[in-house]
Amino acid sequence: MAEIYQKEIKLSDYRKEDLIKFYREMVKIRKFDEHLIRLMHEGKVSGFYHSGIGSESVSVGSITNILRDEDYIFYNHRGCNQKIAKGVPLSKIYGDFLGTVEGTTRGLGAGIVHSADPSRGVLGQCGTIGSQFNIVVGTAYSAKLRGTDQVSVCYFGDGAASREPLHGSLNWAGLYKLPVVYICENNGYAISSTFEETHSVREHLADWAWGYGIPSCVVDGNDVLLMQEVVKEAVERAKLGEGPTFIEAQTFRHRGHFEGDAYDYVDKAVLNDWKENRDPIKSFKKKLLENQYCTENDLLNVDEEVEYEIHAAIKVAENAPLPEPNRIFEGLYA
Amino acid sequence: MGTAVKVKTITMREAIIEALVEEMERDPSTVLFGEDVGKFGGINAITKGLYEKFGGQRVFDTPIAETTIVGAALGMAITGLRPIPELQFGDFVGIAFDEVFNKLGKWRYMHGGQMEVPVTLRLPVGIAGGAGPEHSQSPQALFMHAPGIHIAIPSTPADAKGLLKTAIRDNNAVLFFEHKLLYGMKGDVPEEEYLIPLGKADVKRVGTDVTIIATALQVHTALNAANTLAKDGIEAEVIDPRTLAPLDMDTILASVRKTGRVLIVHEEPKTGGCGAEIAAQIAEKALFDLHAPIKRIGSPDVPIAQSIYLEQFYRPSENQIIEVVKELLEY
Repeated sequence: MAEIYQKEIKLSDYRKEDLIKFYREMVKIRKFDEHLIRLMHEGKVSGFYHSGIGSESVSVGSITNILRDEDYIFYNHRGCNQKIAKGVPLSKIYGDFLGTVEGTTRGLGAGIVHSADPSRGVLGQCGTIGSQFNIVVGTAYSAKLRGTDQVSVCYFGDGAASREPLHGSLNWAGLYKLPVVYICENNGYAISSTFEETHSVREHLADWAWGYGIPSCVVDGNDVLLMQEVVKEAVERAKLGEGPTFIEAQTFRHRGHFEGDAYDYVDKAVLNDWKENRDPIKSFKKKLLENQYCTENDLLNVDEEVEYEIHAAIKVAENAPLPEPNRIFEGLYA
Repeated sequence: MGTAVKVKTITMREAIIEALVEEMERDPSTVLFGEDVGKFGGINAITKGLYEKFGGQRVFDTPIAETTIVGAALGMAITGLRPIPELQFGDFVGIAFDEVFNKLGKWRYMHGGQMEVPVTLRLPVGIAGGAGPEHSQSPQALFMHAPGIHIAIPSTPADAKGLLKTAIRDNNAVLFFEHKLLYGMKGDVPEEEYLIPLGKADVKRVGTDVTIIATALQVHTALNAANTLAKDGIEAEVIDPRTLAPLDMDTILASVRKTGRVLIVHEEPKTGGCGAEIAAQIAEKALFDLHAPIKRIGSPDVPIAQSIYLEQFYRPSENQIIEVVKELLEY
């Protein structure tokens, strides 16, 4: 059975600049998301968007200061969180949503899926949710065969975990001892169906991995430092050739599955509790202030800098032209 | 092949093994995998000796998991390897349909052309030995509908070798369909190294009265029929497209304009088979060069029976071809 990952973490174990970096990255992701939703309301971007607000810590906790450019990721359906943490320029992501040539797809349009930045190990994503389970064992096998210590991280939600390929993937990864880290962002809901309604588990999804002989654990995904610790261990194992790890990060989404989703299938009290008491940014900020790692003003300055950065990125993305119609005929074959 | 080329006579199985060995020796980033392809050498004995030659890292047995086999190939391809996966039966492409139809040909395009997908997926196909409805099909035409994928379907040892070598070197996904009844068929193969480009049809027999376009095993059925027809003074031109994507319509149209009569023969069902697309393109581009309606022969639109007695009636026959050619000549 999967263990519940717990660890006593002292803020003093981290450098102050890294703590501020985690804060900054989480704020960047949230502000990116909020401004994207604003652009939707302004009619500039379609509503096909799955907001990642409320789970920023899962991505920052597993990527920032841990993964290198040469490490691969397959992001999940709330994957802007991971793309931003992996360093994909904000203007490029906005460009994909706006369909301008600034986007990573040079105007084809993308967003939830299909944004890619191979130079930063972001190898794209499947429109058919969960098909990344198959692809990630290939990237990991490739790293192993080429003799590198590159790690492949596979993000997915509890909904995607229902897909059959997860089991094919776990079987391969365990069998060939592949350097894969599976990170399940379990927010309790696929769209409206709950995790319990759609999964047969002993208790946790991570228990499945245990059945494949893959070390697994369940962790509070909204604690950015706890995520850092657990993922560092998993990445280290992968680099040492000790094989895959499965991490189930428990979290909750603040918004509906898609923009426009009434989100009336969740218990209001539960949602409010997550928003008020378990918001990853709020909690981390509180911890930083309580331990006097920085002042309220320091963090406000970070907020402002990020806000400025977001506006600049949107400007670059919006000012770039739409592609010529014949763009659709470019890039099919190598 | 030119007359000065030194040749040897080998089976298509041997030709495919030669292609695999040569390309795997040439490029250390190649990796071959599938069900029972390692020590066992593949159920069709196409990968015999490769495990011993290249080791268990580059030639490995996989679990029975077609979606993972093809998905993993994609992952390898976009990170610097050149995978050559095998599906044990071409019919199993249905299990990996998402990976083949939605991913292999689209990954590069939908991510803005930033990656290359040099996958060569080998798929043994065709009615052979009473294998039944899910081990006998020829599903290649389905993928003419999937942009970004190349489709090769050789009919001779020489073509199989030259096309497979090109497919492996190509930086795009290639589906390589091999008819199981051709594995043991012998033919002349050049001694020297050679490549055959994708998208170049081959005129297997020159003729003036009718154009027969055929693929895989049916190329041989068509050639046999043509030889019989020649005894009656009818000269059929037999064209093997060799690849369905890209499709060499120039060679096909040149022949059609010469003969004015067309028959397309393939083993997949007539409805929606490759003949449907070829016929449509001929109609679009050369309708007024035709003296007779375009004819097609495919297998009937019903699942392939398991019975080894019944399965022969699915396969287009020499007699059917002769009959239709004679009908075409009545116009």
